[in-house]
Amino acid sequence: MYKKSKYTDTDKMSDLICDNYPMVLVMSRFGIALGFGEKNIGEVCSQNNVDTDTFLTVVNFLIEEKAASIDLKQTRFSLEGIITYLHNAHDYFLNFRLPHLRRKLSEALEECPQDVAFVIRKFFDEYADEVHKHMMYEEKTVFPYVKSLLEGKKDPKYNITIFRKRHDQIEMKIVELKNILIKYYPGNGSHLLNSVLFDIFETEKDLATHSLVEDYIFVPAILELEKQ
Amino acid sequence: MSTPLKIVIADPSPIIRAGLDVVLKKIPGFRISLTEVSAFDALQETLKIQRPDILLINPLWVHPSSFTQLKEDSGCNEMKCFALVYTAIDPAFLRFFDDQITLFEHPDEIRRKLERLVSAEIPEETDSEDSQSLSVREKEIVVCVVKGMTNREIADTLYLSTHTVITHRRNIARKLQIHSASGLTVYAIVNKLIALEDIQTKG
Repeated sequence: MYKKSKYTDTDKMSDLICDNYPMVLVMSRFGIALGFGEKNIGEVCSQNNVDTDTFLTVVNFLIEEKAASIDLKQTRFSLEGIITYLHNAHDYFLNFRLPHLRRKLSEALEECPQDVAFVIRKFFDEYADEVHKHMMYEEKTVFPYVKSLLEGKKDPKYNITIFRKRHDQIEMKIVELKNILIKYYPGNGSHLLNSVLFDIFETEKDLATHSLVEDYIFVPAILELEKQ
Repeated sequence: MSTPLKIVIADPSPIIRAGLDVVLKKIPGFRISLTEVSAFDALQETLKIQRPDILLINPLWVHPSSFTQLKEDSGCNEMKCFALVYTAIDPAFLRFFDDQITLFEHPDEIRRKLERLVSAEIPEETDSEDSQSLSVREKEIVVCVVKGMTNREIADTLYLSTHTVITHRRNIARKLQIHSASGLTVYAIVNKLIALEDIQTKG
């Protein structure tokens, strides 16, 4: 579906985005806006004070679509940059994506029986709560831990293995919502409901890749840092 | 219904790995997540992190005598090992593997091999046509779960052992692909197994 070559700092930013449109989300999570003209990736990054290597590490990791730990010895990236990226992704999910999906789902459910609409909305809200808890744990516990680790302060009570063990797959429950709508939705389908379904597919994929960045870039880098 | 499968491909050739990647992902009926290992040094670490269901490995990478050692060291005792055969190799050597995939293997044959492996692992899987729809008993259990009853309470109400209740619940989750109580609630309402008032008075 997408072009899968590895990108370097001299490739054009517009080529990257046109070849792999989901990368527009990555870009915005690094704080880069659209409208960069003909500039290459290196130029756009430095103009936005983004570490180019970190940006390319994430982009190339996601484009390859392979769940493989990256070779830390051969890749150079900044852990602060990754934290910013993850933090912005959390903000996107919690403050934009999920509320937006909720509004759209509610609107689509107006066609269907009251009681069904009620339980589907309830299911969604519980799901959103779970994602919220999951991400807030990272924001309130994991990120501060890593930040102080970067300052050279070790916390004797915490290590990243604790996080790795409890890092559950948050995309599993949205798969359930998708299954419920596909298999059991009682009303007549509508364009809006189909659109909600597409959004759910996208969100599921987006959440899954988000977890991949955490599991294969973020966590291994911290494990390495803890060894020092 | 697609079965999730975690597979690690261990082979030095990027072309072989990429080829398998394409072939495996096209096989219907499975949700396959792949991890590639290109160097022997990284194998054990990857296995430790991934805990795959299947390892597809170049047979020249592991000596048969060190095979069980590798499984133990990486904590993957349950893992099945397929040999990736594309060079001439002593058949005696291949006996140590659970199965093998050759360079000219047809995707349908690979699919059969994966299915054989999965069906061996889930014995209660029946391939009858109506295996997706719930039995009367299972529907009763869904209603109880939706009402917020514990396995113990369900067992007492329906005169079953808790063990049986747990088995039923596992089968329900497998058939519907719904694991959470709130997901089952939606299922129960949509299929009119229960009315909304019956749940709301409870909670």
